[in-house]
Amino acid sequence: MKRFFLTSSALALSLTATTGHAAPTAKEVLDTYATIAVAKFQDSLTTGQALQAAVDALIAAPSDATLTAARSAWKAARVPYQQTEVYRFGNAIVDDWEGKVNAWPLDEGLIDYVDDGSYIGPSDENEYAALNVVATPKFSLGGTEIDASEITPTLLETALQEADGVETNVATGYHAIEFLLWGQDLNGHAAGAGDRPWTDFAQGSDCTNGNCDRRAAYLKAATDLLVSDLEFMVAQWADGGDARTTLMADDKAGLSAILTGMGSLSYGELAGERMRLGLLLNDPEEEHDCFSDNTHNSHYYDGKGIQDAYLGSYTRVDGTVVSGASLSQMVAVGNPALDAEMKAKLDTTVQALGALKAAADNGFAYDQMLERGNAQGEALIMGGVNGLIDQTKSIERVVAALGLDGLAFEGSDSLDNPGAVFE
Amino acid sequence: MLKPLLTATLIALPLSLPLTLPATAQDLPPPVVETAVRDHILPGFSALAGSSARLAQVAETDCTGQAETLRNAWGAAFDDWIRVSHLRFGPTEMENRAFALAYWPDSRGTTPKTLTKLFADHDPIITSPDGMGSVSVAARGFYALEFLLYDPKFQTDAGYACALTRALTADIAATTSAISRDWTESYTALILTPGSEYSPYHSTDEVKQELFKALAMGLQFTSDTRLGRPLGTFERPRPTRAEAWRSGRSQHNVILSLQALRQLALILAEGDANLVSDVEQAFDTAIQQATALDDPIFAGVEDPSKRLKVEILQQTIDLIREQQLANIGNKLGVAAGFNALDGD
Repeated sequence: MKRFFLTSSALALSLTATTGHAAPTAKEVLDTYATIAVAKFQDSLTTGQALQAAVDALIAAPSDATLTAARSAWKAARVPYQQTEVYRFGNAIVDDWEGKVNAWPLDEGLIDYVDDGSYIGPSDENEYAALNVVATPKFSLGGTEIDASEITPTLLETALQEADGVETNVATGYHAIEFLLWGQDLNGHAAGAGDRPWTDFAQGSDCTNGNCDRRAAYLKAATDLLVSDLEFMVAQWADGGDARTTLMADDKAGLSAILTGMGSLSYGELAGERMRLGLLLNDPEEEHDCFSDNTHNSHYYDGKGIQDAYLGSYTRVDGTVVSGASLSQMVAVGNPALDAEMKAKLDTTVQALGALKAAADNGFAYDQMLERGNAQGEALIMGGVNGLIDQTKSIERVVAALGLDGLAFEGSDSLDNPGAVFE
Repeated sequence: MLKPLLTATLIALPLSLPLTLPATAQDLPPPVVETAVRDHILPGFSALAGSSARLAQVAETDCTGQAETLRNAWGAAFDDWIRVSHLRFGPTEMENRAFALAYWPDSRGTTPKTLTKLFADHDPIITSPDGMGSVSVAARGFYALEFLLYDPKFQTDAGYACALTRALTADIAATTSAISRDWTESYTALILTPGSEYSPYHSTDEVKQELFKALAMGLQFTSDTRLGRPLGTFERPRPTRAEAWRSGRSQHNVILSLQALRQLALILAEGDANLVSDVEQAFDTAIQQATALDDPIFAGVEDPSKRLKVEILQQTIDLIREQQLANIGNKLGVAAGFNALDGD
């Protein structure tokens, strides 16, 4: 932690030097963005390691207390991770990797037992939706015989993740771990999360629902894999790492990456896919963290991350602040009105998502908000959606103001990663 | 059905104010915007409202799923929807209207799941006033109706099927009529006066960008989704992921969308003769390839030689995106911006 204080004071110094109506350079802005990326992914890693320790403790001595501790550690690990999501769409290295750690939604029956009555089972879209690897040591997958008698990180990431080319076959990452810690949420639109008993991990005759040793092995493998995946991403943003090098290579492309990440997460992903869709479908399974009922927190910290990217500031899990030259300062010099507009809209969104989070923290579950005819829930969710859509318009204006228009038509990014840059 | 219309009118009111105000817009819209609104957008939504109203009338007369007249009326209205389905801004986005008309793709089978539940519960919501407005969008609109008209599973319970068919068609008619009315009565004025008090657009550039984004998103959707979903991978093609395969419309929808996008692209290219000629040629190639496929539901994606033709069509569309779209963007001086297809 000591080193970070030093880094942040150094950044603060350079920030002071750039005030006085001189815009920060693109390099300075990009440097802040990369430095914050390191801090965010490092926080994700340390909280991921705490989760790993809690999972080890649960497996060593299964009990209500160790299961509860592991669940708390999972929720804590989501806080910094969600704030990194703004890095995803603008940076191909992050986007290519993201599916390993945060793929969603998932057909959880691939992993473990599910409720027969409500679960959709094998479908036209996914014939392995009810495979249940925990109960099945050997099986055939798309014509290949798979030996899963030993459940390892390698098995999960090579044979099972996106098995048969189906995206909802999610075998790794936060949501696979979440399912193993909570189990299915069978409460429908009523309050309450998944309620897996701790005895699902008990050894010997206390074991419930069968194959407790294999379930524990799966949980361990998925958690270890998450930690090693997070280690990889920290290294990508460190000095000399690929993500940082790519970002710093071209000023315009780098600034565009920041804004692409902000806009794509705001609009298509969070406002659209994760928030409005669930509401339009009234479907409690269309919840980002559906097993743990932690969706309100995930949405909130996504929104916070988008704001961080513009303001060039991040509050770490230990409370220290990392900040530096920002896009905001850059825009403010030439167009103070637009900067004020952008900041106000980001603030409105974070407040709206904060209201959603506060309501859920006070017992109004996200599932309930999604229910048909629940006007109060709809208003809370749409408050966030409207804020996100509205801020996207301003992000487009910032792109134009910084002269980044048309950038998508140049360079190789548009060809390499049309999803992230071209649109 | 009265209530949603009232709500829409209330929302439309403040939007229609600028019509009565003096024209103080700082920015005069260029001719391409006026042409796009007059020749592409307004007639498109007016046709959709008309054919949707006819669909609802036909359903009142004959609500059985196998009835040719009903299927034809549905097909005509669906055609008109495909022709405007890329125009996802303003009136289509109010009250989630476009979602209520067209929930697809449906990668988790939510449409059949939700319909099954409505049938199982004999849910009375569908006939209650204002009821359809609160039903999950997965069970509303053209794609849900396709299940009722073409999937025998949803025809055995004839009484409820009839009531649901009437409710869905009336819902479609009300939604499309609201979109068309908002375009005529208010949004046209707003889009033609960027910078005025109630316009969501600050400048002409933002209006041009909106139209450009609609073209870009339409091309992306047809390439990635209408073609990309059934194509899957060479090792694992996915014919049952084709759009509207139950009614045999997959190829048809691709042709319709390309024809509509061609019209918009030519309007946006107006004034640059070389560009117009290039755009025309590029779209004509794509439309000709799409028409020549002779593969109504893309079942051919599993047959290497037929699959190749679908892949070539997809490449032709991607080439339009890469070249002509970029040229149009440069001509208009706008960037692609963000759209709803961003994200996963």
